[in-house]
Amino acid sequence: MGASKLSGMQKQVLSLYRGFLRAARSRPIEDRKRIEMIVSTEFRHNSKEVDRKNFQYIEYLLRLGTKQLDQLKSPAIVSLSSIKVVTSKT
Amino acid sequence: MASIATSASTSLQARPRQLVIGAKQVKSFSYGSRSNLSFNLRQLPTRLTVYCAAKPETVDKVCAVVRKQLSLKEADEITAATKFAALGADSLDTVEIVMGLEEEFGIEMAEEKAQSIATVEQAAALIEELLLEKAK
Repeated sequence: MGASKLSGMQKQVLSLYRGFLRAARSRPIEDRKRIEMIVSTEFRHNSKEVDRKNFQYIEYLLRLGTKQLDQLKSPAIVSLSSIKVVTSKT
Repeated sequence: MASIATSASTSLQARPRQLVIGAKQVKSFSYGSRSNLSFNLRQLPTRLTVYCAAKPETVDKVCAVVRKQLSLKEADEITAATKFAALGADSLDTVEIVMGLEEEFGIEMAEEKAQSIATVEQAAALIEELLLEKAK
């Protein structure tokens, strides 16, 4: 935990998390806070629930998250009814 | 790629503060087991390093962002040497701290560098480096 050596997969997770926070930053303040809350909750939920050795599932979650991040970045999306982001233990 | 192993000691006095900036991109590194929150001889990662003193106001600002991000009480002490992990921050928290610092100082940190930040002084040193570059 903390500042230990990060595995490649862990870095991908943190990178994805960073991406979401950046994307949220460009949104109006109300949207931004909601996005940050949802993203934070999902990442933390999965950091507890997902077995860190379940690489196949983690990779699936990373791909899912990346797709959702791309959607979030799209200017075509005016509002988010819900966004479910999941990823692994960090 | 050759690197130079170095070690450094920091004065027990409040000043001067010695901080370390990685002279080249750091892929990853690790610290030893949990250390005390004190100014002791520290084993630094094997890499090229340069030293400079981050301004006290930069360190203070970093401390303020960290405190806010982790919802710490005023009584909780944060110094330049404080590790985020020692304050109960996990790696997700650290990402949030770094993002908060970017906004506070109006800078963007490269992913690799951001991921290697683990203490207040590391954050402050990188921030000042980036602010200098931005001023050019």
